Amino acid sequence: MTPSFDDFVADQVTPLLRYATVLTCDPHLAQDVVQEVLLRAQQKWDRIGSVDLPHAYVKRMVTNEYLSWRRRRAAKDVALCMTTLESVTPPVRDTTHHYDEREAMLQRIAKLPRKQRAAVVLRYYENYEDSEIAQMLGCAEGTVRSHISRALATLRMEHTPEPAGVGLRLGEGLS
Amino acid sequence: MNDTEQLIKDALGKLAERTPHPGPTLNALRRKHKRQRNNIFLIATAGVAAVAVLVFGGLVASDRYAPPTGGDAAAALVPDAAGGIALEYAPHWLPDGFVEGARGVSGGLSARVWVPSNAPVDAGDGGGPSVSVGSTPDHPDTTGWQEVSVRGLKGHLRVEGQTATVAWKAQDVVLVSVREVGDVRETALRVADSVRADAKLAYQPAFRLNGQPAARVGGTGPADWVARADTPARVQVSPRTPQLGGSRTPVSVRGKQGFVENGDVVVRDGDVWIIATGDLPVDELVAAVNQVELLKADTSWIRKR
Repeated sequence: MTPSFDDFVADQVTPLLRYATVLTCDPHLAQDVVQEVLLRAQQKWDRIGSVDLPHAYVKRMVTNEYLSWRRRRAAKDVALCMTTLESVTPPVRDTTHHYDEREAMLQRIAKLPRKQRAAVVLRYYENYEDSEIAQMLGCAEGTVRSHISRALATLRMEHTPEPAGVGLRLGEGLS
Repeated sequence: MNDTEQLIKDALGKLAERTPHPGPTLNALRRKHKRQRNNIFLIATAGVAAVAVLVFGGLVASDRYAPPTGGDAAAALVPDAAGGIALEYAPHWLPDGFVEGARGVSGGLSARVWVPSNAPVDAGDGGGPSVSVGSTPDHPDTTGWQEVSVRGLKGHLRVEGQTATVAWKAQDVVLVSVREVGDVRETALRVADSVRADAKLAYQPAFRLNGQPAARVGGTGPADWVARADTPARVQVSPRTPQLGGSRTPVSVRGKQGFVENGDVVVRDGDVWIIATGDLPVDELVAAVNQVELLKADTSWIRKR
């Protein structure tokens, strides 16, 4: 039975926003992307609602919207461009060293080329196999492996672990 | 899985915690669907993030509210006698160093955004510290929000990450949103308490597209601004010279020699550049640029307190 569009949105808007937030590294852009996609899905719901997995279809729409959005925005927006994580929420500091490492990693992920970032998100957040990522991104599995390999190389190169013991410095001052 | 891959997973998991509340997206869908149905407005398709933020934002009470103009979302966008669109509310307190960076309208929502004086031109749009004040006929979904008092009126507050939003019903629904500014809860409530109605405030769009005002204008100074409208094509007008680097194909647009670069249409008209982008055929982008009605923009307020 085809779900109604309203039921679909009620069930899926939060997962879609979550996915878009991770994909875009920008909660505000995520809202724009999801909103745009749902508006289009609503207009074509008769067709989309009848496919086997409507949520997978719409998720792919979100991915494509993000990829094209970034492309067209990057082209010539002399201003008002949506920057990535660097200009979004600064880290909410907690007292753990590991938290800072996550924030630093997020900033590096946000700088990845869009397809590499999408591949990384699908692999490490969605836990997709190469074949599923290839289907989502509309490319060959070899291309997926290349995207992820390059992304990991970039992220590893920029990830220089701090010396052991750094995380203990707060405690040292208390003793 | 090695350390880097585990760190990637952890980082993405942390990022997922910043997922915005679905309320504004659902509200925007309802509003836009209604507009589609009634064929009154063009659908704003993208990139009104700064204005959309205000859907979360706060509202302020005032002793001097004008009579209601009705529940129609369009009511707030009725041009005033001078051709501007009433903004209606102004904060009388802002954090030190904040200046006005953008004004915008979307559907029934009108908004003003303040940013640090040294913020880039896109501040308040993509991220960074900001204070937004707006009004809308539609009340956001405040389920789960904390009840607060704003100048004796019942309001609602939500703190999510580094953003605090206050909403309350005055003449319209007033929204205050504070992002990444010290104690966001305290700051948002203080801004909200300072908001008063101001009948003199108006948004003067820099251009109209198919009769609709540009969705927003912002910049780093009165002479350095960017205005934008989001229809099926994104149209941007600015005195800024765009960064161009690709191969260009000449095209006639607005009776002038413009060009197409990477699928985007670019033309200079007088003192401004007009750019149309979007996943549309070139002739549709050209048509959008041809539809642009340039207006005398009031940008004197940009980067002033």
